[in-house]
Amino acid sequence: MSSFRLSKGGRIDRARPLDFTFDRKPMQGFVGDTLASALLANGRQLVGRSFKYHRPRGILTAGAAEPNALVTIGEGGRTEANTRATLVELYSGLKAKSQNRWPSVHFDLGAVNSLLSPFLGAGFYYKTFMWPAAFWEKVYEPIIRKAAGLGRATYEPDPDSYEKCWAHCELLVIGAGPAGLAAALTAGRAGARVILADEGFEPGGSLLTETAAIGEKAAADLLGETLAELASLPNVRIFSRTTVFGWYDGNVFGAVESVQKNTATIDPNRPVERLWRLAARHAILASGAEERPLVFGGNDLPGVMMAGAMRSYLNRQAIAPGKSTVIFTNDESGYRTATDLEAAGLEVAAIADSRAGAPSSWAGRAPVFPGALIQDAKGGKALTGVTMIKGGTPEAIEADALAMSGGWSPIIHLACHRGARPVWSDAKAAFLAPETQDGLTIAGSAAGVGALEACLADGAEKAGSVLRNLGFSNASPAFAPAPDTATVTKPLWYVRGAKAKAFVDHQNDVHLKDLGLAVSEGYGHVELTKRYTTNGMATDQGKLSNINAIGILAEARKVSPADVGTTTFRPFYTPLSFGALAGSSKGKHFQPVRKSPLHDWARKNGAVFVETGLWYRSSWFPKPGETTWRESVDREVLNVRKNAGICDVSTLGKIEIFGKDAAEFLNRVYCNAFLKLPVGKARYGLMLREDGMIYDDGTTSRLSDNHFFMTTTTAYAAGVMNHLEFCAQALWPELDVQFASSTDQWAQIAVAGPKSRTILQTLVDEDISDAAFPFLGARQVSLFGGKLTGRLFRISFSGELAYELAVPAGYGEAVADAIMQAGGPHGICPYGVEALGVMRIEKGHVTHSEINGTVTPADLGFAKMVSMAKPDFIGRAMLSRDGMVAQDRLSLVGVKPLDPVTTFRTGSHILSEAAAPSLENDQGYVTSSCYSPNLGSTIGLALVKHGPKRHGEQVTVWNDLKNEYTKAVLCSPVFFDPENEKLHG
Amino acid sequence: MVDFALLHRSALAGAKTGSFGAVSTGSRIALTALPEGHVLHVLAAHGSGALQSLVAQIGDGGPYAVRAYGPGQWFVVGDAALSAADLSGKAALLASRASIADQSHGRVRIAISGASVEAVLAKGTAVDLDQASFTIGHSAMTLIGHISALITRTGTDSFEVMVLRGFAESLWDDLIQMSLEFGVDASTAD
Amino acid sequence: MASLIACPHCGPRPKEEFTVKGDAAIARPAADAGEDAWYAYVYLRDNPRGRHKEYWHHTSGCRRWLVVERDTLTHVVYSVSDASTQGGTA
Repeated sequence: MSSFRLSKGGRIDRARPLDFTFDRKPMQGFVGDTLASALLANGRQLVGRSFKYHRPRGILTAGAAEPNALVTIGEGGRTEANTRATLVELYSGLKAKSQNRWPSVHFDLGAVNSLLSPFLGAGFYYKTFMWPAAFWEKVYEPIIRKAAGLGRATYEPDPDSYEKCWAHCELLVIGAGPAGLAAALTAGRAGARVILADEGFEPGGSLLTETAAIGEKAAADLLGETLAELASLPNVRIFSRTTVFGWYDGNVFGAVESVQKNTATIDPNRPVERLWRLAARHAILASGAEERPLVFGGNDLPGVMMAGAMRSYLNRQAIAPGKSTVIFTNDESGYRTATDLEAAGLEVAAIADSRAGAPSSWAGRAPVFPGALIQDAKGGKALTGVTMIKGGTPEAIEADALAMSGGWSPIIHLACHRGARPVWSDAKAAFLAPETQDGLTIAGSAAGVGALEACLADGAEKAGSVLRNLGFSNASPAFAPAPDTATVTKPLWYVRGAKAKAFVDHQNDVHLKDLGLAVSEGYGHVELTKRYTTNGMATDQGKLSNINAIGILAEARKVSPADVGTTTFRPFYTPLSFGALAGSSKGKHFQPVRKSPLHDWARKNGAVFVETGLWYRSSWFPKPGETTWRESVDREVLNVRKNAGICDVSTLGKIEIFGKDAAEFLNRVYCNAFLKLPVGKARYGLMLREDGMIYDDGTTSRLSDNHFFMTTTTAYAAGVMNHLEFCAQALWPELDVQFASSTDQWAQIAVAGPKSRTILQTLVDEDISDAAFPFLGARQVSLFGGKLTGRLFRISFSGELAYELAVPAGYGEAVADAIMQAGGPHGICPYGVEALGVMRIEKGHVTHSEINGTVTPADLGFAKMVSMAKPDFIGRAMLSRDGMVAQDRLSLVGVKPLDPVTTFRTGSHILSEAAAPSLENDQGYVTSSCYSPNLGSTIGLALVKHGPKRHGEQVTVWNDLKNEYTKAVLCSPVFFDPENEKLHG
Repeated sequence: MVDFALLHRSALAGAKTGSFGAVSTGSRIALTALPEGHVLHVLAAHGSGALQSLVAQIGDGGPYAVRAYGPGQWFVVGDAALSAADLSGKAALLASRASIADQSHGRVRIAISGASVEAVLAKGTAVDLDQASFTIGHSAMTLIGHISALITRTGTDSFEVMVLRGFAESLWDDLIQMSLEFGVDASTAD
Repeated sequence: MASLIACPHCGPRPKEEFTVKGDAAIARPAADAGEDAWYAYVYLRDNPRGRHKEYWHHTSGCRRWLVVERDTLTHVVYSVSDASTQGGTA
């Protein structure tokens, strides 16, 4: 392979090559490579163009903080933009593309933006393109958007599946580096349920990348032994490829697991990503530390890399950074990289150590320059050399790789998701989070610990202490205490005098001068600087850049970083796919379907269904030859009124109410009287809210002294049940009353029409003549000669002689079939909710179209039902307030067009006949309307000021949306059979 | 009188059956619609004291027949359908101390088992199903995805899920979806 | 994303299983308590920063109404109890 891949070493499996493409060019890597390491192995240092200036960019890190190497992975519906190449596990068939370049990453016309850079500085959005105003949307923004940006999302649907899972543990360990492994091992041995989550495809953290020995043992050997022991413990679960992205209430952590993002052959039986909610009694945050970049000229050139990342590529994937490397450091990390490079036989041209008192323990070949600074990196699309300032004198050094280290920032993001603020520590030269919070302890380098042995000890010690608090008294640390030998030096925030742009935020192209500008223009507060310069606002959320920006602001403002503070950390720690957030809730799993027990009966009778909440209800039942829904509905209505019809009303809410205080309870939740409802009778009931408005209506029947059966509207079934439970449990716990929702127990069938009694009597064993079973009768009945027991109610929504028969749901279809069979000779037909709606409007019966949260009983003509004689009921106290009894309240009326060939729509407003359309002239509005085949015209119900006093008045029905004006007349809301002769027939 | 064969239609009569998902894993899931026998919702009257042993008497003696569901509420379940006479006999046994709402047609029981059953259910519920705390015979009313259901552990690798009849088919489909990675055999033989 | 409420009857459950009704610190007045008391009960609510008592219904669990005392700032839950033990009526 290329000269960048060393002939030996690393954790890659050279026996298992993997073919992939980058910008359509075929390349090869190995199992154990990331896309980033494979690109480097193939000599691809230039992998993208920067956001604003289109500068050539290479790979800066080896992990989650990567700001530059954003690529688009996959094709078609699997296209995933802005993926960090450093986190992509290489697989055979991977197709990656660079972003933000046209026509190619090598020759990018957008790089002309670099020449415009005087106009693209901090705040350029706010000041450069201010004039003329009209130009912003039409000219400036499209050009800027085209030139600046990241990858493009696909418009095709994602073909893969996602899911969400819960997991529970005593100890969650976040990060499988030294501290995390030590914590997990300690807890695992103590017998606690442990979840160890790690972002990488291989647990180990710095143990994977460091060549140091721990005691007598090589880091890699220690890792192997620890993982083997953890794997042998059944109480320990290791989640690799799993990023914990948020810490939430109740000590629940959000995590996303990549299940199949590492393969081109997706198994459709498994999700590609899994969103975990990890409920932990306690968590150890061992997320490690992020190496700080140094801010000098050209620090964004391909070939410039974090020192730790260079070590990682070298030791994990046997990647040589180049032929000759310069180290720029103010920390030990630079020396570790130099050591490993030289051990691999690579040349280190120079070690520029910004510290005047650089350590004298260096035993390598490379020259060390204490107190030296790299001022500028040189090169075009790749690094060619650097300018080093030593004792005030510039010196040019040739190099094709540069490793930088500015010290370490603990990764405390998660620890600050629930309100804790980072605090600047002079001792650690870093922001730290509180080490212990309720449910979370920070360990290892995330807590500012430096040396590897000390991280192991810290993780073990803290886990032991946490577990003992959780009751695992036998928990003892898996590693012995070790002192932290790492030293901390004063941070170097930036190098003065650079000729080229010195980048602070690589992803958003914010450079040193932008921050200076922000301070000089009065935007020096950390939150203002962020918005003004966009520093830290890119997809990496400033993982590398925020700390340097804070340091630079502090110097510019001549204060401590403690005084500058940080911006607020919020979930998610890294970007999350929409697929993972949606989980399995897509397609038919988006929401459940609730099926009536008569669903299949309706379907075999040809029903057209309508979604009503989660229910599917029968809308109408078209017959052959009927071409419009109106034809079917008109026929159904006329047939019910002439013969009979059968309708599925199983979706109504049904509640069994038990207890010796059940009657008293109903008397308090309904505004009308229920205390003396006789056994065997149903009563229409109105339930109010405490503010006096109607909440819901329905019928309630008394089946025995202490057993009632309530029905609610379909829409409010769940709400009414909750309301009843609230009243019983929270308001009147002294009452003996219990509730059982029985909505699903009963198939409920309305049989309506003049022939309904004749038809039903053929099924029902008892006498249901008018004398034996008058209007509002309610009783248990025997069916088919004792084969079945059901409940029969003589109630009517259509205004016809009608019954509702409830039978156990499993027999619903059989009973409906029997009714159809018995009703055949009498002309029975199935009817749906549309016909039901027409008939109830013809009778002036209200539904939630009228009970819309603004109406009192009196508004709907129910004033006399309200029993003010009762000492108390829900809503009573507010019913007599001024506004509730005002004379001009909108009240129920009927409305019909003057000319029956004209029509109007629901929602239209009512104007006095000659009044101009205006808010002041508004008299009310149409709440329901339909075509009545019995009246031969549109009819409607409306809420109108002084409504009942205006029957006979001519008005205009006005629909401004459609510019419709219909001359109409107000009338009684009961259009059909006002004397209720049919009902009592 | 209509002479009519009174056919019972089970809630999952139209649900999909067969084998789905991964072909050969060592931890296949079995999904089985249980007989729609009886489900009695028992509600304790106000101040009726400890009823657990009384409630146990109305059960059919099956090992997990009585399932606590909330304060003073139980489901008593069994595979045999009960007659009206059976029901009134049980109601009489409880006398005035508790009421029975017959939910035999309103709730549907589904058995789910297999070595991966906890992993499957963890995709739906936030309840910790670890056997140390969720012991055999233990029940919990909870959300499985979007649907409320009563989960009962019937064995180390087996649970029963009881759901409102109207949601049974949706939950059935969800459980199949959740089991695909392990492979699932779904049967509604009734 | 997630949070858990410790139902006294069912144990810790996610917020999706619950329905929140609001202020539980106010008691329903007596029927004859007068217009002012009723006006306050129906319409007036404090919006405290800090400790707050709320009614939560364990809708998808035991179906009990609970009183959850929590901190509106930090979401720390101090206590959860069955509403029937709180005395909701003045």
